[in-house]
Amino acid sequence: MKTVLLAPLDPVHDNAIKLLRRKLEDAGYTAVSMPPGTTEDEVVEKALTLHPDAILVSRTLGYKVAETLGRLVDLAEAAGLREKTRLGVGGMAITREVGAELGFDATFAGDLNMADVFAFIEGKALQAEASKLPTVAREKPSVVEGYTYTFKDKKIEALLDQITTQILSFVSDKTSDGIERARLREEMLDQPAGSPVLTQLRARYIALCDEETAAFYNNGKLPSGVRWLGAEEVARIPEVIETTLAPHEPLQHAGKRPYIFVQYGTGCPVMDIMHIKTAEAWGADGILHFDPSWGAQREGLLEGCLTHEHDGTILTYDNLNLIHQYKDPATMWNVRGHRGLNTAETQILGARAGADLFKINIPYGGTAGGTDPERLTVDGVFSLRLAAKYGLPFDIPGNDELSGVPPHKTFAGILIMMMLGLKLGGQPIPKPLLCYSPYMQIYGYMDDNMVDMNTAKLAVWREIVDTPIWPGEPVGFMTHTPDRVQSAMTTAAHVALAATLGVDAITMASSDEAYSKGPISAPARVDSLRAVRDLLRFMGSAKFLPTPKASDLLEQIHRGITETLQTIADRGDFTASIYEGHLGSVDDGLYPGRTGRGTVRTLK
Amino acid sequence: MSEALDRIVDALDIETYFYCKSEEEARDLAEALIAELRLPHGDIVFLEHRGWGARVRIRTYIHRPGDHYRWMDKKEEAK
Repeated sequence: MKTVLLAPLDPVHDNAIKLLRRKLEDAGYTAVSMPPGTTEDEVVEKALTLHPDAILVSRTLGYKVAETLGRLVDLAEAAGLREKTRLGVGGMAITREVGAELGFDATFAGDLNMADVFAFIEGKALQAEASKLPTVAREKPSVVEGYTYTFKDKKIEALLDQITTQILSFVSDKTSDGIERARLREEMLDQPAGSPVLTQLRARYIALCDEETAAFYNNGKLPSGVRWLGAEEVARIPEVIETTLAPHEPLQHAGKRPYIFVQYGTGCPVMDIMHIKTAEAWGADGILHFDPSWGAQREGLLEGCLTHEHDGTILTYDNLNLIHQYKDPATMWNVRGHRGLNTAETQILGARAGADLFKINIPYGGTAGGTDPERLTVDGVFSLRLAAKYGLPFDIPGNDELSGVPPHKTFAGILIMMMLGLKLGGQPIPKPLLCYSPYMQIYGYMDDNMVDMNTAKLAVWREIVDTPIWPGEPVGFMTHTPDRVQSAMTTAAHVALAATLGVDAITMASSDEAYSKGPISAPARVDSLRAVRDLLRFMGSAKFLPTPKASDLLEQIHRGITETLQTIADRGDFTASIYEGHLGSVDDGLYPGRTGRGTVRTLK
Repeated sequence: MSEALDRIVDALDIETYFYCKSEEEARDLAEALIAELRLPHGDIVFLEHRGWGARVRIRTYIHRPGDHYRWMDKKEEAK
């Protein structure tokens, strides 16, 4: 095995030398290290007696760098060492340019890459390309794996059974234009372009659309601000992506979970792809597609590759396909359709384009999401059937808390969705929102700290049911400011808290979360991912220590969930319960949605 | 536009610290800086005044979603 001489040409700093020595010895090399303050002459003198295969010197301090290192190179040359001994340099003060200028055989700048060090010692060319390879072979994980969905709280289970039996009975003889369009879209996707059958199906589809969507199909009229994505723009993506490939380094430090998700939806699929590749490069495990809010309030979806200069990327099969084509195959992909008039069709498009997860929440979509509760109940149950049919887990966001709803009411709604999904053969994932919501602010539940309440909001799920937990959406909602350091820090704190409480996945924000006057920027994504990486590293397997108050809050939330479900079960009508505010009232700040009211039809 | 600016994926942020008496003065200075640097549609993302100065971040979008992205152009075309 080869011998390596390690020397810090620095009066104090020799940490890198110590680290190198250990790693080289672990790899079977003979590593001889010299102390801090070693001079150039001493290095050469030692080398002449040791006859090492390689000499590695380090320099941390930034003064006299060229003078010191240049003299070492000259002395090594004069002593005839360089014929048989390779000379390498590294350290904080060293750049590749300086190392090359001074005549070293190799320069190690930035993070220590042992593969490069080994290659240098062995006399091979540095594996510049190796750094482009993933440092960890990625496999697409499953958020739901390992959970049985067994209810530990039997009273809640019984109430949920009663409530969901009523819901399934209610929807059993009902349909809507949204459901019929979804059925047609499924058939349309099986037809070749230009076929007469496709033309007929599309005509039936258009008949079920609103005026503006129909105008797109009939007259080619694009919604305001929307344009076609040029073929040339699409064709150039591969070249751009090729130059931006980067290794995937997991964000997690202790264990493989939680999987970290980020939301995208810049408005343009090409920009989305760049943001997705950025997030992947900085360690994200999954992505969520966000569509424009107007897309949820219209009857019918558009077709083709479309872009616009507003928030949310337009939901079309072609846009989804384009995005899917460029995301890493191991990156989990959630296409949301939880809140609008196209919820059912969104599941069809998502599944056909390769989505791994759906997002469906009737109580949220039927209130804060703006859609009529009756309509979304009918469309939502149909969508749950689709999720089960496609074998795709669906998550249930609890973002109605942002309107002021207390967590126990939001969680009751999430539990109803869970039971509905389970009865229909699905795999639900509750998404308790970790946030500084109006309810917390008004009632002072977070006046002292944000650990107790958030701990209680996660722990209550473990008391009720054996389920995966995925805090979102994103965590830290309403704690962010436009200060990017503060924003990234508060995101990282929430991620770390949730991670140490054993959740399975987390949706996190960029540091632009609180900036409302422009689209989220690529560096803002990196800010937060970078902060998360370091805080997960900081925490490791350690835990937060909540105060005793967390236990009181846990009990309070659990009791509130039971009481809310009891009220809804007693009412005997789920949609009426939403209208009447049992899952969030006007006093809480929540109003029933109105879009699509009166559009549910009873089947003859 | 320079090649370096063309390569900016979306936003260009400038962070600095102004010597100033108040938040209002900091805002005026930030707006003046946007004008002096000729940042198109420049915006103050963040501004916080404490004591004798203010921490400020200003932003302009070199490329907005839906634009023609010059970073996608081939190098010779971008010049």
